[in-house]
Amino acid sequence: MRRAAEANEKANALLCAAAVVVLAVIMFPIYWMAVTSFKTEIEIFRVPPTLFPKVLNTDSYAAQLRHGDFNMFGSFRNSFVISFAAMIISLLLAIPASYGIARFQFKGKRFFILSFLITQMLPVSVILTPMFIIFRDLHLLNKHVSAILADATIGIPFSILVLQSFFSSIPKELEDAARMDGCNRFLSFLLVFVPIAFPGIIVCAVFSFLYGWGDLAYGMTFLQDQAMRPITAGMFNFLGQYGTKWSYLTAFAVVTILPVTLIFLFMQKYIISGLTSGAVKG
Amino acid sequence: MRTNRLRTFFQYGNIGYLFVLPAAVYMMALVGYPVVSNFILSFQDVTVATLSAIDKPFVGLRNYRTLLSDGVLRNSVINSFLFTVSCLVFQFVIGFALALFLNRRFSFAKPIRGLLMIPWMIPMTVTALMFKFMFSTNVGIVNQLLQLAGLVGQPVEWLLKPNLAMFSLVLANVWIGIPFNMILLSTGLTTIPTELYETASIDGASRAQAFFRITLPMLKPAIESVLILGFIYTFKVFDLVFVMTNGGPVNSTHLLSTYSYKLSFSLFKYSQGAATANILFAILFAVSIAYLCFVYDDLEATR
Repeated sequence: MRRAAEANEKANALLCAAAVVVLAVIMFPIYWMAVTSFKTEIEIFRVPPTLFPKVLNTDSYAAQLRHGDFNMFGSFRNSFVISFAAMIISLLLAIPASYGIARFQFKGKRFFILSFLITQMLPVSVILTPMFIIFRDLHLLNKHVSAILADATIGIPFSILVLQSFFSSIPKELEDAARMDGCNRFLSFLLVFVPIAFPGIIVCAVFSFLYGWGDLAYGMTFLQDQAMRPITAGMFNFLGQYGTKWSYLTAFAVVTILPVTLIFLFMQKYIISGLTSGAVKG
Repeated sequence: MRTNRLRTFFQYGNIGYLFVLPAAVYMMALVGYPVVSNFILSFQDVTVATLSAIDKPFVGLRNYRTLLSDGVLRNSVINSFLFTVSCLVFQFVIGFALALFLNRRFSFAKPIRGLLMIPWMIPMTVTALMFKFMFSTNVGIVNQLLQLAGLVGQPVEWLLKPNLAMFSLVLANVWIGIPFNMILLSTGLTTIPTELYETASIDGASRAQAFFRITLPMLKPAIESVLILGFIYTFKVFDLVFVMTNGGPVNSTHLLSTYSYKLSFSLFKYSQGAATANILFAILFAVSIAYLCFVYDDLEATR
């Protein structure tokens, strides 16, 4: 008995070690980006490369705080405003829509589901040029609202598909009970369904936010003014201007993934469930 | 009278329309209308000069004909397929291997599977920048390591040679795709009842036999959906290529998505850009329909 347990423990240790090696290999690019942002330009060019900065250099971050034109904190704020607003729009529209699809039988329901599925596979390129012309005609170019409206079109179909499976799984008895207690359809939606689907709503909030945060095409095309642009577009601009200033560039990248990392740390279980439920159906 | 009719209309399931309507209108205005307008745009001649004109000249299929004789477009079609298929093969094989590995029971399996999601969540612009740095000729870690190991004498110009640039792009995209494949396949694996494996091993089946006779057939739906979704996501990749090579060197790594962007927003040939985007969409659409038919046939066959 004891021998078997020992063998098991050994196997466990071996598997763990192998998994750590795999993790280290896959995560290396992120690690490399992070350490580079703390190196001096001279050290970045050193051969053999140093795995850890010899001199800790925080100037890449400080310099970007001081300089106005590529202010990464300004573009950070822009990204935040755009992603957050896009997230709110996605939720406000997707929550009732998914409830309608899940709980009611009406003509054309399959058509709605199908068209939401199709929008999920639509390449950005197909709608980018017409959107540009529309926003130009409406004088919305160079205003955050253009990027917000565009980004929400990614979050909405995703959220509807995820939430409708949540809403369909809620037993009908609950709805009937709410009815007995004097709730109409709208009240039971607000007081019974929305609270039960809360975990699903969090999944949609996280994904809608991340879609906005990761967007480059919309932000870069509709917002030409550097001061209005999201952080991804700001970074792309920076790359064009200081293409070899890797200490600054990697610092920029680190700041960009900071919120993503935080979301990951606190919302990991929602992310995995969102990826599996939304993606399998999308 | 009218309110009465409205009331009967919304009495039963039709009330669902009220809930769906706002989202449907939003998507119709911001996605449906642009799709249609992109289609029309591709049959017109819209450039910077005619962008503000009310009457946009209709030119029929001219944009598509111009594109057909455009070497860069043909190349982008080939590149899009090459890029997508290479990415799918590698990310599927690696993702599957990781899924099998991390579905074994050991203490680090779950947290590590979670951490491996990170590459998928990072904005593609950052990923592109990271790989651009690692593959850069003079400061890239890839060259530094190759030179240290004595495998190459001169630094390799990864992003400056067409084939090598394509290889670097594929590698970066595989890195993004691995978590996606791993998670979907690992969810699929957990649905296979363990009793099947127990019975198989009692019957004397080897591990390889169990894999080919139980795992693969049981996983078929998950594999199909991961491949088709992978195809759709990869075929329309834009940010990664746009930031890493921007189609260069000399237009050799353009995908349909990046070439369409270039036509519209660097060369201001909006109509040709729109036509290129439509070609991209048509291919995606055809593949998805083919897939749906394929799945449907499968369902019929098992019935």
